[in-house]
Amino acid sequence: MKKINILLALCLSLCLSFSWAQTPKGSVLIKNGTVLTVTNGTYENTDVLIQDGVIKKIGKDLNAPSGVTTVDATGKYVMPGIIDAHSHVALDVVNEATAPIVAEVRMKDVVNPYEIGIYRALAGGVTISHAMHGSANVVGGQNATLKHRWGSSNPEDIIMQDAPRTIKFALGENPTRVHGRGNGIQPRSRMGVEAILRNGFNEALQYKKAWEDFNKAKSQKGSTAVAPEYNERLQTLVDILDGKIIIHCHSYRADEIYMLINVARDFGIDKLVFQHTNEGFKVAPEIAEYTMGASVFADWWAYKFEVYYSTAFNAAILHRNGAITSINSDSAELIRHLYHEAAKTQRYGNLSDDEALSMITINPARQLGIDDKVGSLEEGKHGDVAIFEGHPLSSYAIPQMTFVDGIKYFDINEDQDDQRQQVSPTETVEPILLTEHNHRCMQDTEHLFETASALFQMNQ
Amino acid sequence: MKKPLWKTGLLGLFAWGLFGSGTLFAQSDPTGQKPITQTYAFTNATVHASPGSEGQKATIVVKDGVIISVGSGVTIPAAAKVIAGDSLYIYPGFIDAASQAGITKPEDPERPSDFVSSNPPDEIAGITPWRSATDQFDISSSQVDDLRKAGFTMAHVLPDGGMIAGKGAIMVLGTKGSTNLIKANTALAASLNGSRGMYPGTTVGVMAKFRDVYKNTNLTQDRIATFTSNSGVTRPEINQTYSAMTEVVNGQIPVFFEVENDLEVRRAISLQKELGFKLVVYGLEQYDEVIDLLKSSGVGVILKLETPDDKAIKSQKDDVDEAVQAQYDRVKESYDRTIAQAGKLAEAGVAFAFSTIDAKPSDAMKSLRAMIEAGLTESAAMAALTTNAASMIGMNRIAGTVEQGKIANLVITTGPIFSEDSQIKHVVADGSIFDYEIKTKKKNGNGEATVEVAGTWDYTSETPAGSSGGKLTIEKDGDDYSGTITYDDPSGNGTATSPISDVSISGSQLSFSFEVSAGGMAISVSVSGEISGNSMDGSMNIAQFGSFPISATRNPNFISNN
Amino acid sequence: MKRINKTFLTFLIALLPMMAMAQIDGEFIKPRTGKFLLQNATVHTITKGVLSGASVLIENGKILQVGSNVSADGAEVIDCSGMVIYPGMIDSGTTLGLAEVSSVAETVDYQEIGNVTPNMQALTAVNPNSEAIPVTRVSGVTTVIAKPSGGLFPGTAALINLVGYTPDQMYAGFKAVAMNFPSSARRGRFDRRSDADIKKDNEKALKDANELMEKAKQYHELSSKGAELEYYPEIAQLAKVISKELPLMIEVNAASDIQNAIKWVKDMDIRVIFSGVKEGWRVADEIAEAGIPVITGPVQDLPSRQSDRYDAAYTNAGKLAKAGVKVALRTNETENVRNLPFHAAFAAAYGMGKEEAWKAVTINPAEIFGLGDQLGSIEAGKVANLIVATEDPFETRSQIMHVFINGYRIPLSNRHIRLYQEFLERSPDLNAN
Repeated sequence: MKKINILLALCLSLCLSFSWAQTPKGSVLIKNGTVLTVTNGTYENTDVLIQDGVIKKIGKDLNAPSGVTTVDATGKYVMPGIIDAHSHVALDVVNEATAPIVAEVRMKDVVNPYEIGIYRALAGGVTISHAMHGSANVVGGQNATLKHRWGSSNPEDIIMQDAPRTIKFALGENPTRVHGRGNGIQPRSRMGVEAILRNGFNEALQYKKAWEDFNKAKSQKGSTAVAPEYNERLQTLVDILDGKIIIHCHSYRADEIYMLINVARDFGIDKLVFQHTNEGFKVAPEIAEYTMGASVFADWWAYKFEVYYSTAFNAAILHRNGAITSINSDSAELIRHLYHEAAKTQRYGNLSDDEALSMITINPARQLGIDDKVGSLEEGKHGDVAIFEGHPLSSYAIPQMTFVDGIKYFDINEDQDDQRQQVSPTETVEPILLTEHNHRCMQDTEHLFETASALFQMNQ
Repeated sequence: MKKPLWKTGLLGLFAWGLFGSGTLFAQSDPTGQKPITQTYAFTNATVHASPGSEGQKATIVVKDGVIISVGSGVTIPAAAKVIAGDSLYIYPGFIDAASQAGITKPEDPERPSDFVSSNPPDEIAGITPWRSATDQFDISSSQVDDLRKAGFTMAHVLPDGGMIAGKGAIMVLGTKGSTNLIKANTALAASLNGSRGMYPGTTVGVMAKFRDVYKNTNLTQDRIATFTSNSGVTRPEINQTYSAMTEVVNGQIPVFFEVENDLEVRRAISLQKELGFKLVVYGLEQYDEVIDLLKSSGVGVILKLETPDDKAIKSQKDDVDEAVQAQYDRVKESYDRTIAQAGKLAEAGVAFAFSTIDAKPSDAMKSLRAMIEAGLTESAAMAALTTNAASMIGMNRIAGTVEQGKIANLVITTGPIFSEDSQIKHVVADGSIFDYEIKTKKKNGNGEATVEVAGTWDYTSETPAGSSGGKLTIEKDGDDYSGTITYDDPSGNGTATSPISDVSISGSQLSFSFEVSAGGMAISVSVSGEISGNSMDGSMNIAQFGSFPISATRNPNFISNN
Repeated sequence: MKRINKTFLTFLIALLPMMAMAQIDGEFIKPRTGKFLLQNATVHTITKGVLSGASVLIENGKILQVGSNVSADGAEVIDCSGMVIYPGMIDSGTTLGLAEVSSVAETVDYQEIGNVTPNMQALTAVNPNSEAIPVTRVSGVTTVIAKPSGGLFPGTAALINLVGYTPDQMYAGFKAVAMNFPSSARRGRFDRRSDADIKKDNEKALKDANELMEKAKQYHELSSKGAELEYYPEIAQLAKVISKELPLMIEVNAASDIQNAIKWVKDMDIRVIFSGVKEGWRVADEIAEAGIPVITGPVQDLPSRQSDRYDAAYTNAGKLAKAGVKVALRTNETENVRNLPFHAAFAAAYGMGKEEAWKAVTINPAEIFGLGDQLGSIEAGKVANLIVATEDPFETRSQIMHVFINGYRIPLSNRHIRLYQEFLERSPDLNAN
């Protein structure tokens, strides 16, 4: 029995590395920069050698193997590619808002590699983003972790195939507005949100048992057992219960955060990350003890009632209480300066440089389950690197180059201004969007609201 | 993108049914419309029997809907009506591999009182695999006339509907007296379009729901199999969705997936790979990036028969700064790339066909010429219109070439078919002959006076639902013309006005176009007519909805009023 | 290891003298006025250079003296050794105080019904007790424009200092009639109007604007002749633009709209300020030539066109300044006006330079508002709006140690800080029942 498992695991890992092996890899030697490893300190005048997409060596006076280009980073800062744990960039659809639980939908189905937001994120040093379903449902769809391999036309190329599965949950105002007030079904209150979750997980347990019973009966000779209805929605909830999927839950208020912690504990779920978590600071010890932490805004508050009692010191309080804490964007604009958002933890809580940087590198990597591959500059990790002029935590920092798997996808000096991959053949005047709606947590829920302006009020 | 155009006010005017007064071909025909013979001979024409074949002088005899002989020394039956083909060119009739000509979307069923948008009944959510295009097709639709006029003699019609609209059917575009049905239940029409305001509402939901329906159809079949061969088994729940999906799951009929661009092509193929059905993608507009994938995946490919409007390219100005020029270049590059795709796809060895869904049949030749100019060979274009389409819908036994024994579907032109001056003179469909007026193109600016069109015109247009009208004002503007047109506002509030564009005059022919905005989208309308003195008669073509007669008279007070 | 960080300690120490009293339930630290000497700092005057080892003496709301030999003379001395002093920052376009929770309509007061409502006074609706005000001022932003939005002439904007219990106490001496110049741009993804429709709407709006300005002119002419006109508050307010009592603050963003707006104001003898000016960089020379000052921002913003370089919004202010336009910055924010220094830092980094960026949040807006003799720099005689920080306040790691507005020493507390104080080490903690 055990042997088979090992074989299976081996096979799986082979499959996984195979999928990673299919995407383009590069080699580069980044010379003489100030190397911010995040996890192992900072080294001045140090080189980083990336070969075939992997960090081969970090050290002084490294020589470029033949055929490997060298980038001079003298006077510049070299840091791990920034990871955004909450984004909606590169998604054609954000919300399947029509039911309180839509666990069966997969954002991987609607990844759009042409979206200019990917390049703009690269221009902010961001190499990985967590492309999430929106927050209209108590249980939303399954998210996609993206690697910003800009220029590919194939969505498969920008999906990080070896990242674990994650799923969006959402509590509070958004799901209660969409379903309770919009459609007249549960949940209309935070009580209903909990009930939807408990009902869903209990149904999933029944579903699991029904299939187990069927499979057991089926293996009997001459069985006339008939299969239960297939239901990917419940199957996905089963996968959550089986620990195969990390929950990323949109949440604001301390009470609802605490509620989900209790639900998760009752169902034996420990792969749980809170998103936004504006009142996470109030239950920081609980978040630290029972979950994979919180991914928060640096300073957003007061745009809706459930974030009125927020504090910009949230990240610092969570971090000081031992919760894994990351800073995210949830915005096509903010994603371009997450280094600056992370730096705000120094104004609001005096975090050290490494602590601040960990919030946009190794911590989000941990929350996405990819910290063995990315999130710090360590030998053996992926060659995802951002080079900055000025310390990345300085307000005057300017990203210079961004590499994914050792391939350069952003260069401040060499890139064309116009990075559009697709241009309409019938365009006479390029559309000008002055108030581009940056925050798309509630995109695709338009039909549920009478006016666009009503929608305007319900971001995040 | 398909939109529920029938819901918009303008198009709501065109109710079906007024055409439907059945013309019965009994023995006697008091209308006097019945032809005296069903046998025709086209003598000594230049016949291109199949794509790529050289034109050869031959005579074609068709009888009772079948080509009975093709060749140089054929016997002409006594009953044949002879049409001298000496100056004519004959091609196989075109086949529209995915069409909605003559298709009317059925009324949405009423929502049950216990309707819950998160779990709607299949029929309301756009999951109606049991529906058939045969129930939605009307041969007397002006859309069918327009399609036939463009040389199409056979159409694979797909039902209108949601994510799983129903089953397609093959129709010959013959006379009104027949059902014209060749084969029903040909394919399942599917799309990535969600239902408004209910589950599944978006592409992600649709893809998940498609998997769900597919897998549960499989399981239902297993349950039925167990039930029918055993006792003591609970009766399986049989519903019309799973029943109607069975042929798809068993590989008996393909899924025709509507896709517009490369990303949607990938989405349809990913579903196909995961579930294993036979797949044909139709309606492709942007696919340059997936030519290799289309080739390697072996799915059927049906391109939208339309090339982008070149207005944007033509309106690019000369003396612009560097930044604007760079923008222009990218649009031009995109345009060039778009029209070159078909040629590249053919070169890659993909045997594609065409679809006229959401395209204007009257622009088909223009689009084909643009594709040919950008690298598509004439024989590949012809194959797409005939043999490829025939194979794709399983009709190559009876259609696609001009051969003895095939269905009498022909396109007869005044010149080599893709040449600029060539016009369609006759279309033979199902053995019936349809004649079209040949316009003698008068050269402009050769000292020959063109008609004066400036003025204010009162026009009326006839639609199946009645007549409507408005004012058309045309002003001369240097060498060009500009103006406005008024019409009943589709939103139901009085009169709306739009500027007219592309005003052109050729001899006594006036043509122009304008856009009507209805329900948040723009519908383009083109008008052409013959002017004689102060009156004009012609037709008004409303994108995708067909042509309707229009007549106008000039208001003599125009000049004094100004 | 939970360690109490430095800031917290700093706060504690700063609060210590009052802590004893703060034991009394309900005790509150209030802004205090008086005579203060900010001693031995590096003073960035903005207009008169950088003075090291310098002190600033404040009394009666004004700066009395700036220099190296300033005697305390009975003033409360605040040791600022190793610190920097800058003028308080001015955000030239916000809805601060006009909205409390933007998704709750009952708390949103910056927009009225009607297309022509220049008589709506933002100053009236500013809530002096908005939670966002103390949150904002501890970042060093001491003065903001509170601006209405909405139709063609949405109302009258006002400059306010972030201290005071009544709008009148807060009022900082400048108002402007706001205008949204008819726009050829789309309002967002949801805006699906055709190009022709946009053009039509645009032309109609411009025609309306012309007619209104014409009416205002007539109103002004007739009333200055002493005519007793019927009550017409909208036009009466617009007439103040004609009489130059108030400037017209024109929101305009797309390049072609900016050009049209320049043409539109050319023959009008009025005071004009442009705001927004997102695509200003495309026509910077034309704006400079027209001599129209510009309030631009937010700097941290997306480009207006897909084809634009990713940093189009970052570099806009710098490009305008280089072309010779007088530039002030804004956040266009409500609750996060506190990010003004960071917007300024981005502008500085992306081409504007620190010195120009500082001017854009201090002396430039002061001059644009006609208050160059009162605000925007550290000079004797000016209003005592200034901040003391551990280092360059544009840097996030900089800690703002003291804020003075109108001579009031502002308590460095707000709800965000109080929540930090309460929850950093929670009691009861995890293990208690």
